[in-house]
Amino acid sequence: MNTTGIPLKDPAVSAAAGDTEQLERAYIDASTRVPVLMFYTSAIAWLVLGTILAMVVSFKLHAPDLFGDISFVTWGRLRPAHMNVMVYGWASMAGMGTAVWLMARLCRTTLRFPLLLAAGAAFWNLGVLIGVGAIFLGDSTGFEWLEFPRYVAVILFVAYTLIASWAVLMFRHRRGDQIYITQWYLLGAFLWFPWLYAAGQLMLFVVPLQGVLQSAVTWWYANNLLFLWFGAIALGTAYYMIPKVIGRPVYSYHLATIGFWTYALFSSWIGMTRMVDGPFPAWMITASIAATILTMIPVATVGLNHHLTMQGYFPLMRYSPTLRFTVFGAMSYTVFSVIAVLISLRSVASYVNFTQVSIAYSHLGLYAFFTMTIFGSMYYIVPRLVGREWRYASLIKLHFWASAYGIGLMTLMLLAGGFLQGTNMQNVSLPFSESIQTVLPYLRGRSLAGILLTVSHFIFAYHFGLMLLGLGRTSTVPTFLNPVEAGTSGGH
Amino acid sequence: MKGLAPLFLGIFGTFAFSWVGLTVIPTWQIGHLNPQSDEEGTDIYPRPQSGMFVRGAHVYAANGCVYCHSQQVRAEYTANDIERKWGNRRSAPRDYIFERPVFLGKMRMGQDLANIGARAPAPEESPAPAGAASPAAQGAAASPAAAQAASPSSGSSPATAPAAPPGTSPASAASPNAPPPPGQRTGVASPSPGQMANATPGGTSPVAPPSAQTPGAPWPIQTAGLPPMYSAAWHHVHLYAPRSINPDSNMPAYRFLYEKRRITGERSAESLQLSGSDAPLDGWQIVPTYDAKCVVAYLMGLNQSHPLKEVRSVGAAPPTGGSPAPAAQGASPPPPGAAK
Repeated sequence: MNTTGIPLKDPAVSAAAGDTEQLERAYIDASTRVPVLMFYTSAIAWLVLGTILAMVVSFKLHAPDLFGDISFVTWGRLRPAHMNVMVYGWASMAGMGTAVWLMARLCRTTLRFPLLLAAGAAFWNLGVLIGVGAIFLGDSTGFEWLEFPRYVAVILFVAYTLIASWAVLMFRHRRGDQIYITQWYLLGAFLWFPWLYAAGQLMLFVVPLQGVLQSAVTWWYANNLLFLWFGAIALGTAYYMIPKVIGRPVYSYHLATIGFWTYALFSSWIGMTRMVDGPFPAWMITASIAATILTMIPVATVGLNHHLTMQGYFPLMRYSPTLRFTVFGAMSYTVFSVIAVLISLRSVASYVNFTQVSIAYSHLGLYAFFTMTIFGSMYYIVPRLVGREWRYASLIKLHFWASAYGIGLMTLMLLAGGFLQGTNMQNVSLPFSESIQTVLPYLRGRSLAGILLTVSHFIFAYHFGLMLLGLGRTSTVPTFLNPVEAGTSGGH
Repeated sequence: MKGLAPLFLGIFGTFAFSWVGLTVIPTWQIGHLNPQSDEEGTDIYPRPQSGMFVRGAHVYAANGCVYCHSQQVRAEYTANDIERKWGNRRSAPRDYIFERPVFLGKMRMGQDLANIGARAPAPEESPAPAGAASPAAQGAAASPAAAQAASPSSGSSPATAPAAPPGTSPASAASPNAPPPPGQRTGVASPSPGQMANATPGGTSPVAPPSAQTPGAPWPIQTAGLPPMYSAAWHHVHLYAPRSINPDSNMPAYRFLYEKRRITGERSAESLQLSGSDAPLDGWQIVPTYDAKCVVAYLMGLNQSHPLKEVRSVGAAPPTGGSPAPAAQGASPPPPGAAK
């Protein structure tokens, strides 16, 4: 039993078997060190840049003359720059880093030729860099979520092929028969993304579809990127981290199977809910709304599964930053999906369409759900790569609370402001400009939330930088546990 | 999970299902629409657009207008877009067949632009901004504009345009720099029917009563000395200095699309009619770059007022003095061919 009185699992395995396993894990972790750290470092650099851009975007919305009249910092270029930095720079790179590490661990195989994977990461960085530069210079394609020009898509695709083939290669060399739940999600993500990206590029740029179908493809793409790429990685990560940290198997494999397949089936159909009442055949929108309602099945099964796994172990969140972030992310998945259902219903959509509610929705998905889960995985993985524990428990706590309150406040502001905006927009006795005036105070509140998130991201970047420089703690006890040098191994 | 084949098949199958369902089948259904025409093959709508329109669409994309402006009018039974005079019918897939990229948009921090060109005064009536070097001349330039704002902008009745009484010109000519008289600001004093904010092609009845501030009007205050609302000259002023038109606007100023030039000899016919702190110093003028002209040409070309067979047009409500718009709905369906 450990001395701190924390209900961690006992190291019950026999010494010999434990040693072999520990050694094997250490080998696997070591093989992923360079590429995964490279993914993480780039991702966090993009996160910091994207946060700065986000602040400017947020402030300029209620102070439009900020930074004057220079073409490349006009609001309409900063906004897609921010979004693409976050989507392709931060979220994709962080997600791939975590996915590669998880894949190696779960396939129980070392990563072969890690430097080639690092080259893939470098290429991806290059693509994002050129793409963001192109947006600033006014070369955006004008399709939301796909603003990068075509030549950038080529670079990203080459980089991606390099990265994904490594993940699939590891899967081929896996040991053991059992394919764990996380691997389903990761394999799905790695196979869905290229198809999705290629289909988007083909149908918009190579053989462009006619008229409104371009918009249909855009929202089909954006939604699937959110669910089948980011969502799948985040759910896979949660399925690994929660049982791992609390040292208890997933409550039910059966529930997990149902959750995975219904997730793949229904969440890939909900793209058109962004265009309720738009100029499309009504069946497309109705099908999307129906699919959104059906996503309650995976939400219920996944949520229930996580909840029952965690049952009785919730106090552990006090001691594990990984668990704290991951559980926050997993819970946000439920909130995000419930809100998705609410705002897709026709009666509600006629109020909240074309308002800030859609921004709240995207941030719930990409931040509260995905980003928080990935933060959790980083708190778990980075110490295993650099061989040091996180330096300051206080910085981790600050990071968590600033992020949690930041995204919570932001979502509330945008939901409330957006709903009032939509209500006033629907009220023809008020001039249109009234709906904008209504939402402006909420946008100022959002900027305040943005400051919190900025603080949290700078803290995290600083802390990560310390780890990278080898300035972490050398203790065998995780930082969040009682930081007494002579403690016994807490494990996680 | 046992076995790899079900896993891989399932991963591909679920994705293929959504790909076929949401992109391939819709392409079969509405992916090859043709423009509509009447029996003689004339009156074709929509038509492919000009080079300036296409370039303007790229400027629109490059500067992210789509993140605040939608271009889709929802049906009258789900939303109030039509009552807001954003169009006289809902948008349909056929409206967009020549658009690339399509800017349907999902945000309205600014108003919907699907019919912004249709809301402009008819082009032949639009006065070219006169070269006004002195304030007095500027005032003179403003007066036809004010008269313009008061005239019905119906393409079907060009004869009424010259007949519009120049009721407002003495007032504005008399005090070019003073604050405009309140009546003129709201358009109440104007003896002629119509108000620019509500001008819908073909929809304005010449005998409509003088209008007060209309609820649906986006910016009720039309400051004197400005070009008629939604005319090309107005768009230029609005893009250059949005807050000179609506002090509360949070639209960014697109000054980088304009050039400041010294006036050598004649003042350029294209120079912007600016006032107050936005106006350049004496001897200087603000002229649009080619990109600015293109984006305005693009905006002026956004027009879905042409009737479509598959969509019921709701009669554009003529301005009704203070009474709620729904009362007038359906009163005057636009005559075919009225729209340019």
